[in-house]
Amino acid sequence: MRAVLALAPRLRSAGGADTRTTTALAVLAFAVSTALTLSVVGGLLGFMGRAAAPRNAFEEANAGGYVVLAWVALVLLVVPLLTLGGAAARLGVSRRDARLATLRLLGVTPREVIALTVTETAAQGLVGAVVGVVLYGVLLPVWTLVPFMGGHFTVGELWVGVPVLGVAVVAVPLLAAVSGAVSLRRVVVSPLGVARRHTPRRLGVVRLLVALAGVGLFMVVSLALHALGPAALAFLVGALAIAFSTLNVVGPWLLGVFGRVLLWRARTPARLLAARRLLDDPRAAWRVVGGLGLAGFVAGCLAVLPVMSTGSEAGADEQIFTADLVTGGLLTLVIAFVLAAVSAGIAQAASVLDRRREHALQHLAGVPTELWRAVRRHEVLGPLLFVGVGSALTALVMLSPLIGFAGIEDPRGLALLAGCLTGGVLLVLAATETTRPLARRVLAEPVVRPD
Amino acid sequence: MDHDTAPAVTPTPHVAPSSAGLHARGLVRRFGTTTALAGVDVDLAPGRSLAVTGPSGSGKSTLLHCLAGILVPDSGTVTLDGRELSSLDEKGRSLVRRSHFGFVFQLGQLLPELPAVENVALPAMLLGAKRPAALETARGWLASLGLAGMEDRRPGELSGGQAQRVAVARALVAGPSVVFADEPTGALDQATGTDVMRVLTEATRAAGAALVVVTHDRAVAGWCGRRIEMRDGQVVGNVAQREDGPR
Repeated sequence: MRAVLALAPRLRSAGGADTRTTTALAVLAFAVSTALTLSVVGGLLGFMGRAAAPRNAFEEANAGGYVVLAWVALVLLVVPLLTLGGAAARLGVSRRDARLATLRLLGVTPREVIALTVTETAAQGLVGAVVGVVLYGVLLPVWTLVPFMGGHFTVGELWVGVPVLGVAVVAVPLLAAVSGAVSLRRVVVSPLGVARRHTPRRLGVVRLLVALAGVGLFMVVSLALHALGPAALAFLVGALAIAFSTLNVVGPWLLGVFGRVLLWRARTPARLLAARRLLDDPRAAWRVVGGLGLAGFVAGCLAVLPVMSTGSEAGADEQIFTADLVTGGLLTLVIAFVLAAVSAGIAQAASVLDRRREHALQHLAGVPTELWRAVRRHEVLGPLLFVGVGSALTALVMLSPLIGFAGIEDPRGLALLAGCLTGGVLLVLAATETTRPLARRVLAEPVVRPD
Repeated sequence: MDHDTAPAVTPTPHVAPSSAGLHARGLVRRFGTTTALAGVDVDLAPGRSLAVTGPSGSGKSTLLHCLAGILVPDSGTVTLDGRELSSLDEKGRSLVRRSHFGFVFQLGQLLPELPAVENVALPAMLLGAKRPAALETARGWLASLGLAGMEDRRPGELSGGQAQRVAVARALVAGPSVVFADEPTGALDQATGTDVMRVLTEATRAAGAALVVVTHDRAVAGWCGRRIEMRDGQVVGNVAQREDGPR
């Protein structure tokens, strides 16, 4: 075991520029997830602080509600935050897949392969967590500019404290290690499985039923809200969490169905390749656009807020509360967009590196570079629009028992929705385009190395 | 160029008064202080086959890359049917590669996400063929190379020999003038390698295309009509091996 572990730094340096790139991207992703998680937790602690020691009558009356809403934001962001962390761990191990599979074939035991992976990925997670803590510190003054409760938070209120930072620095590498080990399960189970790239199994329709049950539960809870008494809000938040997590179950299945439609309609090489890639691994595509699915969901909820805030007899307190709802929702949305964009950039970088040999050989055979750019665009844009618009519509349908469909007819709400989705889509597309230099570098190498 | 519409463009490089086929004159290519090619001449008439052999580092792969327009020689010329390739920019050479040349590499040139039939159809689609027509042609090629019934298999679900047959079909689907094969049997056992070489030479000949095979294996080279031996960037032997030419 010790001899194999001693290989870790050699394996890292053996990959050259590719491994340095993936390591840097993985560390960046861990850093972004850590910084944003700490920021969201800081916001929650800020609101809890106000609830514990209200400074005025408004806070006395409303701070409890703000705490619940901060929990909602945390629940909504947990999945994309964990997804990004997972993507980072997978990226970290992706370039070692083939080499580790070879090690397995050479007789290295599964336990040693896992140990190697855990060591390397945990190290990346640790560096990412430390960078993330620094980034959180840099972002703190930015968060104090966001208006809440008719004023602003201070840095002290949003400071999570040294113990929480310590937890982050320990937890992120641990989660990274677990995620990396799970990603390598394929290598351990079957060393040839990675190299041969078999067609993955289709996803079952049961996923759709699970999601329908989740959304149905939320609608039932919201319809029966009055009968639930004081526990109503807790039930509502719980049902929302369940409904959202079921979206993550149905998302890959829906993308698979969408991919089959795209494949059927594909008339050009770029669309054909994009559809095939989507069908090949809808789970991977969901990991990229799932974050935007959340954003679309939040944007759908936000679309109805202007309607709720225009009651003629709304008092000053009520107006502050509604404005804060919009601010909080938008903040959640922006964070979700950033997470989606980073996930998309990471996934595209991993894709470029994973396919480097095939692409380089295609290039030698005269396949134009522009084809891969077009594939990348279609590969991201199709699922992005499908998921963004689809989840926004899901949110509108889910909220219909609360506000009625009249709510979405307000042009301000729909304008906000369209604006948010357009901005998010452009941001994610921009993030995927950042892999262009990497793709150029991969194709510029005249010698195609065997993996 | 927008590859959503992938127009069928025929390259129109400068036309020089020269004979048909692929011809290289005085090719020199250096990498830093190393001279990979030191004044190489090659002539390949339409439908003929040529094996390039030699030890590692002798310059045979560099020669293939220069002949195929992948690398530009430091000096010397490469002409295809009288048209000079070395003066074209990268886009122009890329267009020549996909419209006039076919390629068979050692392994890994098939896209893993596409089934065999779409891998074969892709070059035709890139040249503007409609998807149904390209798939039809691809099915025909796969059937003629003994792969009927395997059209929907992914590269990972094919044996090494089957994957190379798919690669041969892919190289020929767009009707190339020349097929370049770089160690096409390098990842195969001897029996499968022999089978692949038989398929490659027969299919290329039947399609009326010329064939250039780079290999370190004399047995593989024996399938070609002529063989040149390279050493230190120069041609040190040029032997006619067997009856050759278009059918």
